[in-house]
Amino acid sequence: MNAEQSLYDLLDNYFSGKLSVDEADAVEYKLKNEPDFRAKAEQHKTMRDAMKHYGNRMELKAVLDSAHLDIEETAPVTLPVANPVSGWKRYWPMTAVAASVALISIVGTLMMTRSLETKQTAIYKELRRNVDQIKHSQKMLMKDIAQSIDKGKPVPSKYAGTGFLISSNGYVATSYHVVKEADSVYIENEKFGRQKVSVVLSDPANDIAVLKLQNDSVTGINRILPFSIVKDEANLGEHVFTLGFPREDIVFGEGSISASTGYSQNPNAYQISVPVNPGNSGGPLFNESGDLVGIISGVQTETLGAAFAIKSSVVMDAITRASLDTLERPLVLPKYNTIKNSNRVQQIKRWKDYVFIVQVYKN
Amino acid sequence: MNVVYYFDELIVSEIKKKNEVALRELYKTHYPMIVNLVRSNNGTEEEAKDVYQEAVIAFYEKVQQQGFVLTCKIKTYLYAVCRRLWLKRLAEKKRYHGNIEETETFLGIEEEMSTIAENENKFASMRESMSGLGEPCRGIIEDFYIHDLSMEAISEKFGYTNADNAKNQKYKCLQRLKKLFFAKYKNEDLS
Repeated sequence: MNAEQSLYDLLDNYFSGKLSVDEADAVEYKLKNEPDFRAKAEQHKTMRDAMKHYGNRMELKAVLDSAHLDIEETAPVTLPVANPVSGWKRYWPMTAVAASVALISIVGTLMMTRSLETKQTAIYKELRRNVDQIKHSQKMLMKDIAQSIDKGKPVPSKYAGTGFLISSNGYVATSYHVVKEADSVYIENEKFGRQKVSVVLSDPANDIAVLKLQNDSVTGINRILPFSIVKDEANLGEHVFTLGFPREDIVFGEGSISASTGYSQNPNAYQISVPVNPGNSGGPLFNESGDLVGIISGVQTETLGAAFAIKSSVVMDAITRASLDTLERPLVLPKYNTIKNSNRVQQIKRWKDYVFIVQVYKN
Repeated sequence: MNVVYYFDELIVSEIKKKNEVALRELYKTHYPMIVNLVRSNNGTEEEAKDVYQEAVIAFYEKVQQQGFVLTCKIKTYLYAVCRRLWLKRLAEKKRYHGNIEETETFLGIEEEMSTIAENENKFASMRESMSGLGEPCRGIIEDFYIHDLSMEAISEKFGYTNADNAKNQKYKCLQRLKKLFFAKYKNEDLS
């Protein structure tokens, strides 16, 4: 028996408490003073513990296994989950439902639209009002009193827009698209009644038209206009207002300058956040002091709150270029703002008199 | 004593006395819960049994410790431990990357899980070492160190002419076991 072997015998006896008190003391003394011996002893103790642990667990396992047999004998465990389903098997019903929903919606859409092509829907829309739309309902309303209508009743106009007085001697500005291809044009408002006008300037590029009152002796029209025309560009975020005729009555709208370019980066127009509708075209856009900053021209469909207005500087340019100030009746642009210090309601009261509904007739 | 804990306290006090009947009773009581847990989360009944036995053994060993006090229901302990063990197995199998809903747990589950893992590592290392040992070495070692038989009895049982020969054999076996065991145990300890 070699020394190593007797060492382990000694340790085994020591750990299982089989040594006499003196011998145990000797081992403890060695444990304290000989690191080498202590390391070996600790390792051996780990081994012994692990083996004990192993033994206990094996016994336990045997007990549990036999208990498990009891369970299986007495009551085979039946559970709601019959088979552990996994992966594809588990999800295929959901997948099937999702697939059929997708299929139905695709087929449904195809049947309704009969087309797979997606159309570019965001387009520029001019805001002249097609009066045909309301003609029908008007007829219905008038049916009862149809007999009383005399034969000289004017045919309802085809299109309608808005215009406003730009010079005190009877020039009215509006949008070109309102009056294009017109046979005859009338303007009308509360103060001045119905007046026939002729188109004296058409600028399709800038969507500007200037109309001239045929009767230059309309009472009261020769007053000096209370507003001036802004020559510089308006600032982003500036508050702006408009008056127009989207219906038979004058309608006020407000908002602000949203961008300094118009539809597809058109530098001659502003984007504005004023709610406008067909019929607003040609209406004046004015700022907080009541000065003209632009002319309403159109909206971008499919985009909420994107309307456009031609800049007043462009309007000025177009008018001066056309040299309309003939000798007999020069177009005098207004220069002085007299409503600067009035409040909004007062400003609109004054402005209202100079805004007209433009009625366009054509065959 | 809290009424809810009455059964649990009884079981614990019986298990402390190493009462086999109590252990079997405990095992049978909570088994269906764990089978349900494992099977509803991508597992088989066999896997449920493994996990559950590991948890019960961990609980048993914990009760045997000096000064053990029951701080939560046994059911809670077993459920929480099994849930964690099963999540670990699923992660190892890469079958599942989610979370099993945690209905109840107890304080100190993290430490408990590391103790359980350590014990399991120790046990697995020893089991593998033992099975790598072969007969008659394994029998001698088990008889001496686990069943606490005397060398005389062992030499008689294995047919050695005297106790010294048996002792020589036991020493050789112990060295081999030591080599096997520490190779495994140390490695896994580090990882």
